[in-house]
Amino acid sequence: MFRFSPILILLCLVSSTDGLAKVVDETEIDQKVREIAKTLRCTVCQTENIWESGAPLAHQMRDAIRERVVQGQSTEEIRAYFHSRYGDYIMMEPPKQGINWLIWLAPFLLLFGGGVLLWREVKGWVTRTPEPQPPPTLDETSRRRIERELHQDRWE
Amino acid sequence: MTRTTQITILVVLLALLSLFYQGLWGDPRHIPPVLVDTRAPVFEGPNVESGEPLSSEQYKGKVIVVNFWASWCQECKVEHENLLRLYDEFKDHPEFVMLGINYQDEIPKARAYLQRYGSSFPHMQDVKGALAIDFGVYGVPETFVIDKQGIIRHKWIGPIVDNVYTNLTKNVLTPLLQRADTRSLRSGQAT
Amino acid sequence: MIIEIGHFSVVIALVLSVFGIVSSGLALRTRDADWVRAGRMALTLIFILLSVGMAALIYSFLARDFSVHYVATTSNSQLPLFYTIAAVWGGHEGSLLLWVFILSAFSTIAVWLHWRTQPAIMPYLIGMECLVILGFLLLILFLSSPFDRLIPAPPDGKDLNPLLQDPAMVMHPPMLYMGYVGFSIPFSFAMAALLSGRLGEEWIKVTQRWTIFAWVCLTTGILLGGYWAYYELGWGGYWGWDPVENASFMPWLVGTAFLHSVMVQEKRKMFKVWNLFLIIVTFSLSLIGTFLVRSGVLTSVHTFATDPERGLYILIFVTMIIGIAFGSLMLRANKLKSQIEMDSMVSRESVFLFNNLFFLVAAATVFLGTLYPLMIETWQGAKVTVGPPYYNAVFMPTALGLLFLMGVGPYIPWRKASRASLQKNFLIPVVVGVLATVVLFALGIRSFFALTGAFVVGFSGAAIFIDVGKISSLYARRESINLLKGFLSAFTSNQRRYSGLVTHVGVLVLVIGIIASTVYQTEKVVSLRVGDEFVIDDYRVKLERIHDVRGKNWSAQEGVFEVYEGDTLLTKLRPQKRVYDASQTPTTESAIYAKNMGHIFLTMPDVSADGVAVARGVINPLILWVWGGGGIMGLGVLLNIFRPRKRDE
Repeated sequence: MFRFSPILILLCLVSSTDGLAKVVDETEIDQKVREIAKTLRCTVCQTENIWESGAPLAHQMRDAIRERVVQGQSTEEIRAYFHSRYGDYIMMEPPKQGINWLIWLAPFLLLFGGGVLLWREVKGWVTRTPEPQPPPTLDETSRRRIERELHQDRWE
Repeated sequence: MTRTTQITILVVLLALLSLFYQGLWGDPRHIPPVLVDTRAPVFEGPNVESGEPLSSEQYKGKVIVVNFWASWCQECKVEHENLLRLYDEFKDHPEFVMLGINYQDEIPKARAYLQRYGSSFPHMQDVKGALAIDFGVYGVPETFVIDKQGIIRHKWIGPIVDNVYTNLTKNVLTPLLQRADTRSLRSGQAT
Repeated sequence: MIIEIGHFSVVIALVLSVFGIVSSGLALRTRDADWVRAGRMALTLIFILLSVGMAALIYSFLARDFSVHYVATTSNSQLPLFYTIAAVWGGHEGSLLLWVFILSAFSTIAVWLHWRTQPAIMPYLIGMECLVILGFLLLILFLSSPFDRLIPAPPDGKDLNPLLQDPAMVMHPPMLYMGYVGFSIPFSFAMAALLSGRLGEEWIKVTQRWTIFAWVCLTTGILLGGYWAYYELGWGGYWGWDPVENASFMPWLVGTAFLHSVMVQEKRKMFKVWNLFLIIVTFSLSLIGTFLVRSGVLTSVHTFATDPERGLYILIFVTMIIGIAFGSLMLRANKLKSQIEMDSMVSRESVFLFNNLFFLVAAATVFLGTLYPLMIETWQGAKVTVGPPYYNAVFMPTALGLLFLMGVGPYIPWRKASRASLQKNFLIPVVVGVLATVVLFALGIRSFFALTGAFVVGFSGAAIFIDVGKISSLYARRESINLLKGFLSAFTSNQRRYSGLVTHVGVLVLVIGIIASTVYQTEKVVSLRVGDEFVIDDYRVKLERIHDVRGKNWSAQEGVFEVYEGDTLLTKLRPQKRVYDASQTPTTESAIYAKNMGHIFLTMPDVSADGVAVARGVINPLILWVWGGGGIMGLGVLLNIFRPRKRDE
């Protein structure tokens, strides 16, 4: 099917001698490790996840995640493993359960509750405020003068 | 400003004040161990000095003191003497074993360390730190006590200084060793 | 000897601050102007003495006098000169001195500046400022003195934390403190208004420029901190919701609410108590932030060394100031019943109120998130982490709501908006917002955050653009000049309003930058040898060589990476893995190339003994908009501060 041309042979040679330098890329495993590592806290650091941390423990934890990903464990299984060893502390966010709902819902409750209260208050003020007095009626000359001056200066 | 608003502000400020006040006396580095009262992880690895295999299997049914250490760790040197003392005190008890786990270290350095500071009980390698994660270790030194049923009963973060030593031997080890080896005993808590 | 002069000056300043408090008390009791003058003299002298103290500390650093304990712990003989300045406020003790020094400078300026126009306020202003100064000086002299000697002197100092050896760290703390401290001036004026019963609009008008000045300093400080985190911490992000960052963000949020809310009082003489409340909360949060950062109740990347005694003192002091402030507010509040007149639900007044609600909820969210771990630990003995995923999830709705209000607010008239004016002003912006969303959706963007963001940004941007366009063309027609000159003419005719809009435009630019660089960040981590390459986004990155380099006080392995787009060589990036001599601390230094308003960001976290390097590439699209937006916001504020005075001001 193929005709061997000298050029093709040359190309093969070039690529084989150049074979040391290669294009490297992330594997799916790398990506999954990163995805998981970003959700776990480096326990010896302050609020830093184990992906971003340079601490040795974070390094080992990344290795531990990798090992488990290679074994075929799911993201949830791996997170659960770390949770079983270190507790809630290792999760980058409080688990949505029990008393933690307080902190998850508080911003929305505050916004909603505050909004309703404010709305009612403002509404009350509006109803208590008397309608603005209708402007006194003007005689024709004054009206003309005002209109003229308004027109002169309407952009200000 | 209504009375209700005033009281609300006052309550919020007082609550914050008491929270901050209590927060001052907490140790920011203290982390409650979650593994206490759960089954200890299984482990195996080579002996640091001899290279022979060690595993949790051979310690089954005994009270095990597990101590994580490393040659680069300054606080480990502080507690080393007390560790040797601990082993001496209990080594004659048939159901007592003690194991050092060498954490994230280089073997020659670990051997030199043991030669210099003394070694009486066996030490196992955990070069990659995988076992340490299994035990939920934050750093070294950390010490665990596992009962005869294989349940972790105690964890101590930091060096075993004298008062910690007293507490550990008197309140943790002695009762555990005295307890009869009955399978039913509190094993219900094991998960 | 020099440091003792500094120490002595600060001791005298402490005595004078007590004198300042006493003399303002006597001034109020006797109504004798001489006591006020004496107070002014005391405050001025405090400023001069603290300058001497500051100068003595800086001198000791420059002279590398390691017999001074603080110098020995935060600097080293090999530390470059530039960073030696940063080292002066690189630790707890020095940064406190800087805090109180700025405070004395600002209050002295304020007293001299408003001396003639606000004679009745002066005793309160002097007394309040002296009280805060006293509190900080006691802390400095008795619990965290930077003037202590270390005998015998060590041959060399430990080093400044390598992460802080950075140009941004020279300016970041002073800017931040100028922000915190700047709010103390409107705070003191507010306290004066409360205590003296002069509860008109006076204090707000007088302090308007102070407020906005403090605000811009705080904003700049926060952005500088973000910029520092971005290239120094090496993970390519600029905001980590770290407790220390949060401590600076909370006063910013409430301060911004205050900045807007005072306009209602100026125009409509309403919400007097509310504005007093806001400024008290703003300054209280500045103080609480100081407590949180320096007491050890929260641990954080940036927390200074801590001990409970110091924390207890700060807590008592902060409680006292906050107690005085809220106490006076409660006692006086009933005298403040201002007649509230609201003509309509849809009016500028009510938009400002909702703006305030959103800002306060945002601040409360950050406050709760920051303190939650402490609460759980205190009440349940357990530990939790409240990290970026939490904040990103709960903060965004509030932030987007605020952006929407930002587009609406300036175009709703005071008192009452008619249906016709709403339609006229908002029809096109709504259309533009929807269009922006649709276009992004059609381009394949599915992130909810980005799509909602597009609507809000499109809406607010269009509203501002139409406004500026209309007014410019009006002026151009009236004065028969071109559109650009018309724009300038319109701008100067109401500079306060339009400089505010400039700041709003800056916010929009910033938000676009934040959305693009968080939602569309690409990241890749690979291991490679010399000669290998990897592809990230549209770029090829090739490791050309790894070599050793040497700096003044560090040595490093440097990777030289060629960055290609197609076959064109864009640049060579040189990330480093450094080890600092004195502390033997390793750091990763990032290398950055700007392209299409975004960044190609490269770090080399690791090089193994056999020559395999780990490279981490991050593409941050439109990240320059984050800093650019910050710059535009600052420009708007400068235009506001330096606007020509109007007759009615």
